[in-house]
Parts: sequence; structure tokens; C-alpha cells
Amino acid sequence: MKKLLALIMVSMLLLTACSSGASNSTEPEGGSDSNQITIWAWDPKFNIKAIELAKEAYASENPDLKVNVIENAQDDIVQKLNTSLSSGTTKGLPNIVLIEDYRAKSFLQAYPDMFQPLTGSFETEDFVQYKVEATSVDGENYGLPFDTGVTGLYVRTDYLTEAGFSIEDLQNIDWKEYIEIGKKVKEATGKRLLTIDPNELGILRTMIQSAGKWYVKEDGTTPDLANNEALKLSFEIYKELVDNDLMNFHSDWNQFLATFNGGEVATVTTGNWITPSIKAEASQSGKWAVVPHPSLPGMKSVNASNLGGASWYILDVPGKENAVDFLTKTFGSNVDLYQKLVTEIGVIGTYIPATEGEAYKTEDEFFGGQSIISDFSKWAEEIPQVNYGMHTYAIEDILIVAMQNYLGGQDLDKVLEDAQQQAETQIK
Amino acid sequence: MIPATTKQNIQPKPRKYNNKFRLKNGLIGWAFISIATVMICLFYFYPMVQALILSFQSGAGTNLQFVGLDNYLRLFTDPAFIAALKNTVIYLIIQVPVMIIFALFISVLLNNKKLKLKGFFRTAIFLPCITSLVAYSVVFKYLFATDGIINKMLINVSLISEPIQWLTDPFWAKVTIIIAITWRWTGYNMIFYLSALQNVDHSIYEAAKIDGANAFQQFFKITIPMLKPIILFTSITSTIGTLQLFDEVMNITKGGPGNATITISQYIYNLSFKYTPDFGYAATVSYAIVIMIVVFSIIQFKVAGDKNA
Repeated sequence: MKKLLALIMVSMLLLTACSSGASNSTEPEGGSDSNQITIWAWDPKFNIKAIELAKEAYASENPDLKVNVIENAQDDIVQKLNTSLSSGTTKGLPNIVLIEDYRAKSFLQAYPDMFQPLTGSFETEDFVQYKVEATSVDGENYGLPFDTGVTGLYVRTDYLTEAGFSIEDLQNIDWKEYIEIGKKVKEATGKRLLTIDPNELGILRTMIQSAGKWYVKEDGTTPDLANNEALKLSFEIYKELVDNDLMNFHSDWNQFLATFNGGEVATVTTGNWITPSIKAEASQSGKWAVVPHPSLPGMKSVNASNLGGASWYILDVPGKENAVDFLTKTFGSNVDLYQKLVTEIGVIGTYIPATEGEAYKTEDEFFGGQSIISDFSKWAEEIPQVNYGMHTYAIEDILIVAMQNYLGGQDLDKVLEDAQQQAETQIK
Repeated sequence: MIPATTKQNIQPKPRKYNNKFRLKNGLIGWAFISIATVMICLFYFYPMVQALILSFQSGAGTNLQFVGLDNYLRLFTDPAFIAALKNTVIYLIIQVPVMIIFALFISVLLNNKKLKLKGFFRTAIFLPCITSLVAYSVVFKYLFATDGIINKMLINVSLISEPIQWLTDPFWAKVTIIIAITWRWTGYNMIFYLSALQNVDHSIYEAAKIDGANAFQQFFKITIPMLKPIILFTSITSTIGTLQLFDEVMNITKGGPGNATITISQYIYNLSFKYTPDFGYAATVSYAIVIMIVVFSIIQFKVAGDKNA
């Protein structure tokens, strides 16, 4: 009886082994056919549209390559990459994947040898420098820079006029001046200055990057919180905005849009990718303008920063040669494509030669005739480069708690000291 | 009397046949359960053992190294884990008793023989349980938004003058989560009580009435003791459910503001997918949940002290 039982067991094990073995031998998606590549990206109105334009541009010269574009939510892409790569299988993974800049190094360093280096495949000098830094590890380029998250200060000119300010008063201001203006605007119009999701410290990231600082030191691994003057000042500014009741709180994206579309706030400080959402409220046409991002007062800081942005990465799976060719011939060198990206979607790339094109100089009636695209690309080149490292979101979660404690009345030095300690134990 | 001899007479003959039959019978039985057994081992025990091994490793992504008990020691000094644990305990000691008392109360009301439209009320109260976790969380998020319907209602009836920051204030965010899970799960527990109440012999109540017991006495002296095993069962499942709480918090507050509502399950998710993945430490945190569930269950069994449960 036992023999039979054992036999059954063994045969079943073999069966399962065979079936899994069989599926393992199948080629990765897109690799089975040498003339086919697969691309993953999120946001059908932005990234997917961009890749479709690139596909068109590429197809006119290389009609043989079949490009499959698959849309996934960003969270899903992150999860799929993590689970597949950590199990050591590349089955089902695409050839090209879009990764957010803040997360890129986490993937590149956590899964070494899984990504295809691109060093030498494209001219890095042609791209905005902070972007090149964000996509490289140990001097090796892994990503082809895509959109920039260059920030600007979107302001309601009608509210400003009501408070007695003109647009010239807001050019190249620092955060202290910004707060002073905000107080007067609130007095005159009753509108708060800006809106923030307390669960996300994007505003802090833009503040410290404008001073060339980040949550970690240049090596990308040592937490830089306790003795980071830029961060300390940013915390103080954040608290001042809260204490003066200049900050409105929202808890998700839709509330965020509703706040400025409904005219509840006088300014929006975020990445340029918000432009389509601001323009969505057509009745506010002509009432908006974009001025340079505020700088940190009293230290080396520029009136330009970055929030978000992503780049294209190639996985080390069959078909990578085609993928490299596709990327370098489109996003890597095609000036015309970048013009289309601007006019049809509003994507501001980081390819410097493209900024000379006509599309970049278009004046936008919604913003009172301002050429916002060329302004943004000008600021993009000024963004200080920092090493984002692998742990942006882990450290940010620590800082969100620290911010709560600080707003609750604790001493700033102690709060940051605690955060530093916690980050050091968590990050290895 | 008679069997003693007859037994001896009949038995020797069929023994061989009997054994063979039993063997065959046994084999068939084994064959049936072997599939399930193999499946359970493959998909249940094997991953559990692997996760245990994983919980002794640490590192980013695939760069895992054995670190011995470091991960387990790290739990005790990890503020995020402690915050998650604290929140879970708060949910546990406030939400579970509230929900169970509520469910008991409703089930007793609905068990009233004189009540009309019983079916309608039962359906209405049970209905939340068949809604998707994500869908109802999203709805709650909008209800409790700063400019949401709850705030508008409270302002209109002049209970408050300023909108309550249901989602962005550390205290109110917890309240929101507790209200949400209570809404979702009360009906579920109510069904258990209701079915148990229908098994309680009505004559006990009649006897109590004749002896002059009022409604309160009936409830505390008859209903509660009769439902004890079910109360124990529901409190254990609710405890386990609270320890595994994820969807609501993820969708309503994302754990914020500043870890004020984060749960252990969400922390595991963050460690694996939000941050640079440290699957080793994430596995350690999941084993912490396993240990806690076992401990809580033992305590509840001991406190209730009932062998039937």
C-alpha cells in the first residue's frame, strides 16, 4: 500500500515538475518573435500617448518591428517588476519599462544585471544633467531620460491683482517672500495660498532639491537628515505655512484638482505635468501665470526644482537590441518627435536640442500669452543634480511622521535627529 | 450471551477477504485525500517554511543575506512597526467590542417574534458584507472628505462650525477607519448570532417569563450564556481580521497622516512594494502577525474557558 501511495505521490510531483518545466522553457514575452518588443507604461493620457507617437515615428523608418504597448498602473508595474525580478525569472517581463526617477536606483541596485546598460548608445550631453544622474549607477547609464518634472509656481493673477501684486513681484522670489505675499493675498481675497496632501512631502523634495540636497548624501545611501540645513529650513517654512493658515489640506488627487479648479487656492506649486489639469477649467483662462519656483532663502539655492518625472529602461531579456534601437532612434534623438510630444500631449522632454523647435515657443492664451513650455525647459536646465538613491519613499515615510511631531510642537533638531536614527537602522 | 461462540465461528473465514477489502478501501480513501494533502503541502506548508527561512534574511531585492535573528530584534526598535502595532491594538480594543455588542444587540432585536419586515431589516444590515472592500473604502473616503457629505451634514445641523479633518487629522483618521470597519462587519457577525439565537429553545424564555424575569435578565442570564461559544468564535475571527486589516486603511487614508492609521499588513506591503523591497524583513513582520494571532487565540480560549468552543 505504501509503495503504491509513494508511487502516486512521486508521479504527481513529477507531473507538476514537468508542467512547470514546460512553461519555463517558453520564451519571454516579445522574445519569441525577434521582430517584436513589448513596452510597459502607465497613464494613457500622457506616457502611453507619448509611446504611441514614438511608435509611429519609428514605424515610418523601420516598419518590420512590431511594438506592443501595454498599459499598467504604476503601482502594478512596480509590483510586477519586484515579484518577477526577485524570483529570478524574466518570463512575462517587457523589453522596455517606464520607471519613476525616484524609484529607478532602487530597481537598478536591488536587481543588478537585470537591466541593459545604455552607456554610449545615446549622447548624454544632449540631455538635462540632473536627469542623466538620476538614471545612472556607478557611471553607467541605464535609462533613457523621458519627461521632466520641472516645477513652477502656478499663480492666479486675478487674486494677486486684488491683493495689490503684479506678476513681476513674484519673479524669482524665495519662500519667505512667498509667505509674505500669501498673507496679504489671504487678507485681500480670503483664499489660502496652496494645497498639500499631508501624506506626501513632494513640496519638501522640491525645496531641498533646489538647494542641491536630498534625503541622502551624494553616495545615495547615507541618510542626510539631522545635519541637512536645507531640510531643516524646509521644515520651518512648511510649519510657517501651516501656522499662518496658508495651507489647505487635501487627501487625494481628485480633491487636489477640485481645490484649484474651484478657485480655492491662489497658487499651485508642483511639476509641469499639472498644466493639463489646470487648463481643464476653461473658465479660468487668462487668470493664470507660471513664475519660477521659489528658492530657499539664505543658502545656495536656485529658482528651479523638480517633482516626479520618469525614464525608459531596458530589461536584459531577448529582443534588447531592438529595444535599444527603438529608444535611441525615438526619444534618444528625434527632434520632431519632441515637438509633437509638446503640441499633442504637453510632455516636456529633457532633450536639449529639441528646445530650439517651434513647438516649444508657442504662446499659451490660457496663461495670458506666456510661452510656458520654453520657460519650463529653461528652468529644467538649471535644476541641481542630486543622487536620489534607493530609499526616497522609505525616508519620506519617516519624515512624514517627523513632520507631524514637529507640527505638534516638538523641537525640530530632536525630530530630525530621531528621523536620522530611524533611517540609519532601516536602511542598509 | 450468544455472540461469544458465534463470533469465533464466523470470523476466521472472512478475515482474508475483510483485510483485502479494507486495504482496497483504505487505498481509495488515501488516493482521494492524497491530492488535497499534496496540494496543501505544496501551496500552504512549503511557502510557510520558505517564508520562515526568508524571515532570517535581509537585503535589497535579490541581494539577500542571512542575518540570523537581526530581523526579529529590529522589530522591537522599529518605530513604524511599533506604530502599526499600536494602531492595530487600538482598533482591536475599541472596534471589536463595539462591533460585537452592536451585533448582539441588533440580532436580539431582529429575533423578536413580533417584529414585522424581518427579512428586509436582516438583508439591509447584512448587505454591507457583500460589498467589495475596495469599493466601500472609496465611498467612505468621499463621505468623510473635508468637503464630503458627513461634514456638510454636521455643519448644516450646526453640530460643528468648521469641517472636521476626518482623513488628515491623526485622531479623526482613526475614528473614520473604526466607523468604516464597524459598518462593514457588524452585519456579518449579526448573522452568526441570529442563527445561534434561533437554535435557543423558546421554552427557556417562557420558563423565565413565568418565573418573572424581565427582558434584561433574560438577555444576560439566558441569551449571553447560550451564545457564549458563538461570541468566542466571532471575537476570534474579528481579532484575526483586525490583525490582517489592509484594504480599508490602504484606500481610505493610505496609513496616514504620518503612520496614524497604518496597520501591520500595510507595513508589510510598504516594505515589499513601496520602498526598495526588503522581502526578508517583510517576512519577519508577517511572522510577527502569525505569532500574535496564535497568542490572542489562546488567550481568548482561556478567558472564555469553554471546551465546546
